[in-house]
Amino acid sequence: MLQDAAGAVSARAVAKVDEATVIRAVQRGDQDAFEQLVRAYDQSVLRLAMNLLRSPEDARDVYQEAFLRVYRNIHTFRFDCSFHTWLYRIVTNICLDHLRKRKVRREESAVVETADGPVDRMDSFEQEGTHANPERRFWNSQVGNRIETALGDLTPRERTVFELRHYQGLRLRAIGEMLGTSEEAAKNCLFRATQKMRVVLGDLV
Amino acid sequence: MTCDAVVKSLPLYFYGEVAPDVEDAIEEHLGTCALCREEWERQKTLAAALDRHVLSPPAALLAECRHDLARAIYREEMPAVRRSASDPWGLFREAFSSLWRPGIRFRQPAGAVALIALGFFAARFTGSWPAGASLAGFTTPDAMVSSIRSVQPDNTGSVQISLDETRRRVISGRLDDHNIQRLLMAAAREQDNPGVRVESVELLKNRGSSAAVRAVLLEAVTRDPNPGVRLKALEGLKSFAGDADVRKTLAQVLLKDQNAGVRIQAIDLLIANQDAATVSTLQTLIGKEDNNYVRMRCQNALRNMNASVGTF
Repeated sequence: MLQDAAGAVSARAVAKVDEATVIRAVQRGDQDAFEQLVRAYDQSVLRLAMNLLRSPEDARDVYQEAFLRVYRNIHTFRFDCSFHTWLYRIVTNICLDHLRKRKVRREESAVVETADGPVDRMDSFEQEGTHANPERRFWNSQVGNRIETALGDLTPRERTVFELRHYQGLRLRAIGEMLGTSEEAAKNCLFRATQKMRVVLGDLV
Repeated sequence: MTCDAVVKSLPLYFYGEVAPDVEDAIEEHLGTCALCREEWERQKTLAAALDRHVLSPPAALLAECRHDLARAIYREEMPAVRRSASDPWGLFREAFSSLWRPGIRFRQPAGAVALIALGFFAARFTGSWPAGASLAGFTTPDAMVSSIRSVQPDNTGSVQISLDETRRRVISGRLDDHNIQRLLMAAAREQDNPGVRVESVELLKNRGSSAAVRAVLLEAVTRDPNPGVRLKALEGLKSFAGDADVRKTLAQVLLKDQNAGVRIQAIDLLIANQDAATVSTLQTLIGKEDNNYVRMRCQNALRNMNASVGTF
């Protein structure tokens, strides 16, 4: 067991060393290294953007803008935080901008592109329920609608903190660092977000 | 702790974001207070409902994002192409020079961007040219020029260009379809596009029981310049690590591959089906390996096989 743990620690250390090597190569202009870096993180970046913005088109924009910013500014990365934190800071800032603009526009797509064509988010939520049980399906649909409403009612910052903590599993300290705020402020955001959702979801949970 | 304080702390307690002493106090309170326990259950139900509401981006969206990014990077890299946008022949020259340039992936869309632009401008010219002008072939939106066969000026000041055109076609089918598999095997060898190769190998990796697919995976493991593709191909060979050809290739990878991650995976596959040659391969690797972690994995493997770490 101890040996496994030591192995895991060594593996993480090696991964960090390798990543630093890759980043240095990108800073020297190595395009293959840039591709390697993109592929290491792009799925989680897209997932984060998709869940925060609930729109594939916006997630696609965020993906491109985020990695272009990385490409243009990688020479300024000084290894004083992890690359993950640096990248997520970029991504969350872009997402926050999108969410703020959306608050003004008050528009949000309910349709998500999937491999099988466009699917309504609520429909996909329903699919996770028991198809054979109409009562269960109705309940799932109600919860899904309410969750969308609840998420829509959060401020951009609350939504970001909630997404990073609940879905991405990041610690509030790291989230505070990413958003340029304190752990305490992130904690308050998470608390408010959870409270708001409980109010909106009411008797369904 | 009062009920009010506990209820307020439950969301943060759920996420493990309270201090250890507060955590203890909450747990003690929950042990004795039914109302707060009920609140705690509601917190867990809320989290479970939210968990079921997570969206996963479809693979096609990720592929599109990667493609868009590659194009955008190319445009960043090659401002000259943007500047020459009013000159289709400039784009044309760029297209061909970039197609022949040895492969950096983020530059590959050069050809596509330039040729699409050429098609666009040519289409515009076609619209304004008098009847009988012969650039009409460019107007097809899916057509791309693959090579120029001949250029012949005539006495009237015109020029006749003979070219080969390739056309994009979308084919869909199930993975067990023989023709789809054949296309995927061809795509796994697509020299200019590691993105296509990695996706194809990913799809083929569970079909290693076919000798043809296994041959493609073996080829990818030994020859693909992209470590991501090589790792995917190794995953596909996992179930066949006892096969003599696969073992021979794994030993070769172990001693020659430049990527430590690939070497580590090759070690794992080799030691999962040990044979007499495994020990000597690992001993040889230790002698030349400069990566500490790979060396450590080798040493552990040899010890587990009761073999000496060095050769005498």
